[in-house]
Order: sequence, then C-alpha cells, then structure tokens
Amino acid sequence: MARCLGGDVSAFEELYRQHAARLYSLACRMLGNRSDAEDLLQDIFLLAYRKLDHFRGESTLATWLYRLAMNVCLDHLRSRAARMGQVTDSLDDDGRGIRAPAGSDSPPDRALVRLDLERGIAALPEGCRAAFLLHDVEGLEHHEIATILGIAEGTSKSQVHKARMKLRAFFRRTPSRTATGA
Amino acid sequence: MTCAECRELVGELIDGTLAPDRRADVQAHVGVCAACRSLEEDFAAIRRAAAGLERPAPPDGLWMQIAGRIKSDPAFKGRTAARPPSWTMGARWLAAAATLVVVVVALAWMVFRGQGPGGGQEQPGRQAPPATRQSDVASGGDAQLVESVESELRLAEGHYEKAIAGLEKIAKANERTLDPQVAATLQKNLTVIDQAIAESRAALGSQPESRPAQESLFEALRRKVSLLQDTIVLMNEMRKGDQAGAARIVEGLNKS
Repeated sequence: MARCLGGDVSAFEELYRQHAARLYSLACRMLGNRSDAEDLLQDIFLLAYRKLDHFRGESTLATWLYRLAMNVCLDHLRSRAARMGQVTDSLDDDGRGIRAPAGSDSPPDRALVRLDLERGIAALPEGCRAAFLLHDVEGLEHHEIATILGIAEGTSKSQVHKARMKLRAFFRRTPSRTATGA
Repeated sequence: MTCAECRELVGELIDGTLAPDRRADVQAHVGVCAACRSLEEDFAAIRRAAAGLERPAPPDGLWMQIAGRIKSDPAFKGRTAARPPSWTMGARWLAAAATLVVVVVALAWMVFRGQGPGGGQEQPGRQAPPATRQSDVASGGDAQLVESVESELRLAEGHYEKAIAGLEKIAKANERTLDPQVAATLQKNLTVIDQAIAESRAALGSQPESRPAQESLFEALRRKVSLLQDTIVLMNEMRKGDQAGAARIVEGLNKS
C-alpha cells in the first residue's frame, strides 16, 4: 500500500493481479456484457488508484474494492437506464418478465443450466442481483455485503432470499433444465 | 413451525448460519413437509450452481490500458512529482530488477571462473561473497547457479517480450486514431529502439556474459515498453478528444 501511495505502479499492478478477476467477473454479471465490464474495470482501478489514500483499513482491501466496483457498476446501470429510458426487464416474484428457457426432453445439461442461471441472474432487479452475486457467486458473508452495499445485514439476507425465490420460480417453469437437475 | 416461518429460514439453513435450536426446528419441519423440502432442495441447487459459475478472466492487455490511464492521471503525477518524468515506477522496478540480475550473473560468473577448474585464487585482503567463499562449494553447484541466473535473465526478457507483444496488439488495433505525422514519429522512435535491441542481442550472441550488452538490451526493452505505453495513452486521449492531454504526450514522444 505504501509503495502504491508512493506512485509505484508495479505495486499497484500486484494489487490489480490479485483482485481483477473477481471484480471483472462481478462487473460482467452486474452489467450483463463483457465489453462494458472491461471499460468499467478500467474505471474501477483508476478510481481505486485515486482513492487509495482514503482506504483506512476498516475493512479488508477486497471489501473496499468490491464496494468501489459495485458503486461504479450501479452508477453505470442507472445512467444507462436513464439514457435509454430503459424499462427494466426484471423477474417478478412468479418469474414473469423474462422468457423462461425452452423446454427439452433431453437430460439436464450443465452448460445449459449455467447459461439459464446467467440469464436468470441478469434479469434480477439490481439490488437482488448485487446481493446474490456477492453471496452465492462470490461467497461473501452478509456482514461484508452490508458494508459493500451500504445496507443492513438483514437487508442483505432478505435480498439474497428474494433473488433465490425469483430464480427458483424462473427455473421451475422448465423442469427439465432446473438447477436441481444439474 | 409453520410453512411461512420455514420459508423465511430455509435459506439460512442451507447457508449454515442458523442457530442450533432454530436449525433443528427447520430441519424437523422440512422432514415432514414436501413443499418446504422442495424449496430447500431448490435453494441448495441454486446455491451450488451459482458457486460453480465460471469466473471470466479480464483480457490480457487490460492492465496495460489501466497503467496508461494511471500514468496520465493527476493522482499519479502528484505522487511521482519528485521522480524523473521519463521513468515509470514499474519500468524502474523492472529495470532495477534486471540490473540486479545482471549483477548476480556477473558475480556468479566471476565466482565460477575463480573457483572452477583452473580458476584464479582469492586475492589477499579481499573477501569473496560469503556464500561462495567456502572452499566446499562444488564447481557443479556454481555452474547450476550460473545456469539458474541465466534462466532468470531469459525469463525477465520473456516478460518484456510478452508485455511488448500485448502492447503492440493494442496499438495495432487502435492505430487509426493517430495523426499520420505522430504515427510516423512513433514508428521512427520504435525503429531506433528495435535497432538497439537487435544490436544488443547480437553483442550478447558473441559475448553472453557481457554486462554492458545485457544492460543495453534491458534498457532498450524498457524503452520500448514505455514508448508503447505512451502510445496507448495517446490513443486513449485522442479517442476521448482530449487535445491538451494528447499534445502533452506528443511533446514527450518528440523528446524521447
């Protein structure tokens, strides 16, 4: 950290190598495409570089970076929605709002289930999606998610619960390709 | 326990975060209620599938673009105000590391020649490095040391070449963003550096242990990395339409 603050770009590169993959993965799933995720990963690390002296060590560096990343992603999504006048195609509680995967008589295929899960995640409302990605995909604890998203721990739990319920409804519309079947 | 209560807690059951008494209650209910058991199984399956999702890797050249943006950022300039402007810290560290390796190679080479068959004796009043002063160091071990250091040198050179290849790819993909005159200046600078690299390699071909030739090669490789990084920063500035930023970089390129 001291080397980064001294302007040592190679020290910052080490930090990038440690954290870039998980932040990129998070950004891909929050934004729904890799091209935007690449642009935003640049923004995230540039912002991290600028704000390094604001990092007080009250959370882990990974949590701090997740928070920066999530703020950048959510800002981007909101400005994109505002620009496009976008009507968010989110999953309702019963799974409406996204076309369920086409049914198939063939045995469940892991790749298809993965693709369907990616589609289901992409259609979750932002708050649910963020909490679900951090908890079930990235494996963070609720207290860490609360810090990252600036919400209460209980809210994190309820957002993950909602996300799972929505995904379950989505998958149950196509019994032959449920996550359970994988 | 009711189904409504169970539905609220079943997520925590599969996460393993329920207190023991609540866990027992939920498990007991799930044991007798097919609907809640189905919910538990589905939640568990979703969680497993989510945890098994692939983590896409960022593209290889992305760090170079970030480094380029950092180099042109006021925060970087503020942090490096006291440093010589033509050296990035990354390049500086690499060059220092390369120089260090060169010194080690030279030392190892001298030790090998001094301790090996037919080698010279230690001069009175001068101490050899402790690790090699012991008379029981076998010449085979020295040869291994030389070989190991030479392989590290090759590795360092490989890192430079990989970085250069990545940068060249990015620069090539964006070459249309450059003014032809600026592109010509860059090409001219690159040609000079490539010439220096070729000459250093030729010198190393005839004298593999030559420290000046090794230093010259790494210095030329470092200059090429730096020039390509500047080129990519310039391309970014041009694309953003930042004429002032682009002009500053072009001025630097003309001086290099």
